[in-house]
Amino acid sequence: MRVALADDAVLLREGLARLLQEAGFEIAGLAADADELLALIERNRPDVAIIDIRMPPTHTDEGLRAAKVIRGRWPEIGLLVLSQHVNPRYALELLSTGTDGVGYLLKERVSDVEELSASVNRIGHGGSVLDPAVVGELVGRRRPGENPLEHLTDREREVLALMAEGRSNRAIAERLFVTEHTVEKHVKSIFGSLRLPQSPDDHRRVLAVVTYLNSQ
Amino acid sequence: MRAGQGDRSAPQSAAMRARLWLIVVAGVLAAAGAAWLAAHAPPGRPTEPGPVLELLVGASLLGCGLASWWTRPENRLGQIMVGTGFAWFAAQLVNASTPWLNTIGLAVQSVWIIGLVYLLLSFPSGRLKGRLDRWLVVGGAVAGFGLQVVAMLYGNKAGLRCSGCENNLIQVFHDNQKALNWLGLQRLVGIVVIVAVIVLVVVRWLRASAPQRRAVAPVLVGGSATLAALGWTVIFDLLGDPLGSLPANVYYAMTATVPVAILYVFLQRRLARGMVAGLVVELGAPSASVDLREALARALGDPSLDLAFWFPAERCYVDAEGTAVRIPSEDPERRATFVERDGHPIAALLHDPVLEDNAELVQSVCAAASLALENERLQAELRARLIELQASRARLVEATDAERRRIERDLHDGTQQRLVQIAMTLGLLEAKLPEQAAPVQPLVRETREALSLALQELRELTHGIAPPLLVERGLAIALDELCRRAALPAHLDVAIDRRLPEQIESAAYFMASEALTNAAKHSHGSEVRLNAAYDGRLLTLQIADDGIGGAATTSGSGLRGLADRIEALGGHFTLSSPPGRGTMLRAEIPCA
Repeated sequence: MRVALADDAVLLREGLARLLQEAGFEIAGLAADADELLALIERNRPDVAIIDIRMPPTHTDEGLRAAKVIRGRWPEIGLLVLSQHVNPRYALELLSTGTDGVGYLLKERVSDVEELSASVNRIGHGGSVLDPAVVGELVGRRRPGENPLEHLTDREREVLALMAEGRSNRAIAERLFVTEHTVEKHVKSIFGSLRLPQSPDDHRRVLAVVTYLNSQ
Repeated sequence: MRAGQGDRSAPQSAAMRARLWLIVVAGVLAAAGAAWLAAHAPPGRPTEPGPVLELLVGASLLGCGLASWWTRPENRLGQIMVGTGFAWFAAQLVNASTPWLNTIGLAVQSVWIIGLVYLLLSFPSGRLKGRLDRWLVVGGAVAGFGLQVVAMLYGNKAGLRCSGCENNLIQVFHDNQKALNWLGLQRLVGIVVIVAVIVLVVVRWLRASAPQRRAVAPVLVGGSATLAALGWTVIFDLLGDPLGSLPANVYYAMTATVPVAILYVFLQRRLARGMVAGLVVELGAPSASVDLREALARALGDPSLDLAFWFPAERCYVDAEGTAVRIPSEDPERRATFVERDGHPIAALLHDPVLEDNAELVQSVCAAASLALENERLQAELRARLIELQASRARLVEATDAERRRIERDLHDGTQQRLVQIAMTLGLLEAKLPEQAAPVQPLVRETREALSLALQELRELTHGIAPPLLVERGLAIALDELCRRAALPAHLDVAIDRRLPEQIESAAYFMASEALTNAAKHSHGSEVRLNAAYDGRLLTLQIADDGIGGAATTSGSGLRGLADRIEALGGHFTLSSPPGRGTMLRAEIPCA
């Protein structure tokens, strides 16, 4: 799988490239800002672009904007946006461009090589990835009035969070050391409790779940 | 102009009164004599006014001159008019039958015209304004007296065109033709001076401001018409008086109007000075509602009057609101009169230049109002200091905000990046550990987790310092996010349709953040309502919980800090927290 990297911090960029190479990815190019990244993608057409959200010139959300541009021009390219902040809003903005092949992770997740390569692979194959910290914040929100999440069991809440992170039933089953069948039962029950329409495939349900979690 | 307090005593002293009475007596005698002479004019004398016109013009000059002298002793015009009046009566000596009196009469026949020219050129200040003015007066003196005397050195009564006169006692040469030539030159110079004076007066009139025109109109119109009539009289004289004494009589009659006009203008100003008494009463009134500017403008008759107060801290003048004002120095439309008290500047009156001609009125007004001006100045100074203080508080808030953003950036680009880099290397190390190193695996993992925790704490810290969402997306979105993350369920109603200045957004955000934290920690309530609205002028933020109330700005330093921040931006902060009825924080921050 060919990966392009954009980060204005040279050390991080080079380090991440090395890490990904070690994990078996092909590096399609490195960029220091959004413009370089767009030119790079135009030239090399990677499978996935990993983008630091904060880049020159304004050091705010250039990465997010670049991701939206890429999504508009080359919808087939997977996008992983890295941030140093837990910002559910930006994650949702990204997901709202289409949940196929997008991800939002905290920058420090790059320290877990296994998780990182799994995430990049998932995105490359059209799946979505949402940082556990972001999901944790969404699930943990206090809601005015009745909170349907309170009616879920602890295990159901775990499954809900893993769904929101973009994991498939099989991945959830592996995580929780249960059978896929058990996970399916939990999912059905969760959707019933939250009155969500019975969800399609693993990929598309992310948006449904996250949108639900974000609503007040 | 500079006006001090009480540097001018009452003008009409007893000595002056005696002097003026003396002049009155002398004037009555002179008038009686002149009228007698006019009534007994022998035939063949120059065309002089009859006794009625003689008395009218002379009485007008003397009477109005004395009245002006009395009301405006510092203004030379009164004295000039009195002098001109005596010169006018003296001219009647030409009708005397005693030769030496007749000779004097011939010599001073036109001296009073010099006075008339001086009056017109120097009105209303009584001072000639420049070299041209002085040359014209000199020209008038040459024509009115100098050339007359020179002609008298040459001619007898025929040469002087006064067939009925006595013998000219100062004739030295006997050359009537030369005398006539000198008289011709005299007429010529006279005409030139007259035309020049009229032109000058008209030009000044055109250049004057509207209030100035209004003030001097009667004198300028009367004076110019008189001079024009004099010009015609001279021309008719050169033509051999085809209309007889008519032009001269018209001219004499008009002359009588000039002093009246001058006195009229002076008296009008005296009425204005009467206002000073009213001003004193008004300013002495205990009510604080007196508008000082209004009162002074009324007393001075200048609605455009502005006040500026001395602000010693900045060594500049400020208006009543404490805002710095510029004192016009070059502006021809405005003048400044500076008011001092005990040698220190207290205020400046910015007014129309016309008031410069009435300096003693301005001074009286300044003296009468100096205490009130000093009071007003103290208030203006207080306001100016408040404005300064406000500005410095706002600068402090701004500096704090900038510093927060800088720290956040430094942490993000420095420490955070470096920790991420370490985490990354650690990850790489973990991936590369050979099989036989399995026992150290847990240590590496533990290190990684500790690092992750450190990063998380750092993240929360930087978020608290300068929330990226606020900087990047603005107040409305940041408040929304804040409410979603709040520990108590929070209802949000936000109506802000644009980005507001950084320090205002940040003050409002931190107030909301602190209020939500307080509500969760101390209120024991079940939910919070947050309202934020911007109406194009004012940002209103209100956070209310349904808890136990009893909060005070003194108890938690957090609330005090919020209030300070809001107030530093010129905003208004209120806390309402009755026991048992919840806590409501409200901030209104002006932002146009």
